[in-house]
Amino acid sequence: MRTLTLALLALAMMAGGCSSKVEYGDAQARETVTADFGSTDLQEIAGKMVDDLLSFDPVMKMTREQRPVVFVDRINNKTTEHIDTEAVTDSIQTRLIQSGKFRFVEPSKREQVRRELNYQNESGEVNPETATRMGNKIGADLMMYGNLAGITKRDDNTKDVYYKFTLKLLNLETGIIEWASEKEIRKTRSRSLFGL
Amino acid sequence: MKPLRAVLVAGTVTALAACSASNMVRQEPEPSGNAEQQQVLQSNNALLYNRLRIVDTRTREKNDLLQVQATLRNQWKFELDFQYRIKWFDADGFEINPDAQTWRQLVLPGSNEANVQGVAPNSKAESFEIWVRE
Repeated sequence: MRTLTLALLALAMMAGGCSSKVEYGDAQARETVTADFGSTDLQEIAGKMVDDLLSFDPVMKMTREQRPVVFVDRINNKTTEHIDTEAVTDSIQTRLIQSGKFRFVEPSKREQVRRELNYQNESGEVNPETATRMGNKIGADLMMYGNLAGITKRDDNTKDVYYKFTLKLLNLETGIIEWASEKEIRKTRSRSLFGL
Repeated sequence: MKPLRAVLVAGTVTALAACSASNMVRQEPEPSGNAEQQQVLQSNNALLYNRLRIVDTRTREKNDLLQVQATLRNQWKFELDFQYRIKWFDADGFEINPDAQTWRQLVLPGSNEANVQGVAPNSKAESFEIWVRE
């Protein structure tokens, strides 16, 4: 009897050891699994950039008469990490569109758009009265671009990372940088005395 | 001047606070007279009540967008590390883009003040709430 109890106990412990659990979490909870670039940093940067731009008078004056059209260039990732900088610019772009103050063009979809317009206008399969006409695209007024720089230092017990995100808005006609903003982030990961 | 509603609501600040019956601090500066902000403080969380306060709120409308600045004071002698979020509401009291407003980080040294600022996501915003959590 005692052997059976021990066997059942051991089986239960093994089964418990193999169990897994999936839980939904707060997407905006502070993420500190590692000191590497994470979701909290992305949200911080996007929030700061949008707030800065929407409160910068010279640019906002441009939005009074018409909504400027913006072209988003890539963010240069100068850190040693693999970071999807497009996720940052996507967040910024989404919030600027929702502000109702800016419009954006999508350079990465030009080929697909051209293919669809060729189909509508040249295939003979689409009623010409309903076909979207070519040659009416609106050119961008401003170009958004920037850099993400990082400095990482470490010793046996500590890892210190510093990120600096810089975003600029260039007037394509005049070549003038109309707006720029920076966001700095510092994170330190320390190993505790007993490695816990 | 649009009617303003500024509320500071603190979520879970410490594990200890989470164990208390309720952990909400509410500060409601109400507009009165000549746009002066009257500070009304209600709290049923003594821990947070003693550590974090709104000492000033300012608002202005620029380029059709409501801007807010709240001065938070850490009344504790040690550093407070928390997140804050500004919720924006339209004239009907509907929150604007509830999922789009992100929690921002703030580390406030002991016995120190910091100004947190926010710009409304669009021109429909007429009031706001500031929420904080650990």
